[in-house]
Amino acid sequence: MVRRIVAARVQDGPTADDLVQETLVRVLAAAPRVEPGMLESYAIVTARNVVASLWRERDRHRRNQHRVVDLLPEQTHDDGLVAQEEQNAVVQALARLSERERDTLLAHEVSGQDTRSLAGEIGSTAGAVAAQLNRTRARLRVEYLLALDQAEPPTERCRPVLLALSSGDRRRQREVDAARHLLECDLCARLSEPLMERGQARDDEIRIPIHVDADIVAARQAARELASRLGFSKTDLTLIATAVSEVARNIVRFAGLGEIVVELLDQPRRGVRVVAMDTGPGIADVEQALADGYSTYQGLGLGLPGARRLMDEFAIMTEIGRGTTVTMTKWREER
Amino acid sequence: MTTGPKLVSILRQGSYLIASIHTALDDTQMVRFQEDLVEQIGRYRSRGVIIDVAALDVLDSFGARTLRTIAEMARLRGAVTVIVGIQPDVAFAMVSLGMATGSVVTLLDLEEGLAFLDSRTQRNATSGRPALRTLSRGAP
Ligand SMILES: [Zn+2]
Repeated sequence: MVRRIVAARVQDGPTADDLVQETLVRVLAAAPRVEPGMLESYAIVTARNVVASLWRERDRHRRNQHRVVDLLPEQTHDDGLVAQEEQNAVVQALARLSERERDTLLAHEVSGQDTRSLAGEIGSTAGAVAAQLNRTRARLRVEYLLALDQAEPPTERCRPVLLALSSGDRRRQREVDAARHLLECDLCARLSEPLMERGQARDDEIRIPIHVDADIVAARQAARELASRLGFSKTDLTLIATAVSEVARNIVRFAGLGEIVVELLDQPRRGVRVVAMDTGPGIADVEQALADGYSTYQGLGLGLPGARRLMDEFAIMTEIGRGTTVTMTKWREER
Repeated sequence: MTTGPKLVSILRQGSYLIASIHTALDDTQMVRFQEDLVEQIGRYRSRGVIIDVAALDVLDSFGARTLRTIAEMARLRGAVTVIVGIQPDVAFAMVSLGMATGSVVTLLDLEEGLAFLDSRTQRNATSGRPALRTLSRGAP
């Protein structure tokens, strides 16, 4: 992560501080667990801990650890400037939450109010409050990283994508086409790294960057290995590997840069899904590209139509100047 | 380029070349293999070439095309090419993909490959015709 050590945040700082303090006064009025003079610092450290839960599991022995456990705001860090940067980022992130989000989060995290009593206050259910808290934490992480990076997202899609990644919501990630956005947006690609390292890594999904010849082999071997866990027959595994090889080669030849995601499926039945996306020129005539014998490079012209024949489902989305996404699925035969 | 185990080996046995692919090859490595093999066919005036692909994980469109190119170039230089060791699942994928090996002879293993080359080159010898022309039709 890039940390810019810049002290000048005058235009933003006071406003953010005020907002946070105002919220705190309101939230903590009925729950005076904390010394009044300590309120703001305490809240900021607590919020920082929420943010830092990002890194908690990653590596307990890294120097990041100090962000996780210490509740003493006056503790000095070796790198005071960096700590100050982080603290400012937390304040800014808190300020960017809606009033209601901030209220609920701080009431829960800072004054320790449980979800049931929070639900009673706002006429909701404990489950709904818990879900809202999760969304708020996810947003806080995103806003924190943006503030730390001092970055304004370049597109309107950035925040929804980062939020979907931060919350770990796979369905939402697909809805906002997060994977493609990460290929296209440098900022989100950078910020997605700490966001996606949250918690345990998914072991039912593999992502392989595709750029050079060797990546074609890496992709097909990774796909075979992952799919073998579902008990596909050796023949099916070879069909899958061959199909992956074909679509990966298409990326290398036509687009130059892309990614293949291989994912195990449970629903509606067991299977493996391969998503191959690139940021290439797109395909002007999809019908033609899927026709046998068509090829603009030296191959047998079997790339896409061949892959389609090898898999059970095959879909292609392409946009001129933007790129192509091939999604193909092989279902496991249940016996 | 690589310091690890060899990706391919090309051995001379009499007037034959026996080429074995030891692992999955990427396209660049496949092309280099093609160049090396064709160069050696010319250098040793080989009459027959056996390519053992048993270790290949897949034979996709590019891999199959490269093998056909090798066979075609060998044919132009007067050598017969036999592919051996295509695994059943790899063969099934090739057929599903819509590829045939075309005019290239494919046989089960090295032993069959050698027997085939012997019979072909024997026939050439007895018929007394130049190898190049006799072999130009490729496989039965
Ligand atoms: Zn973005």
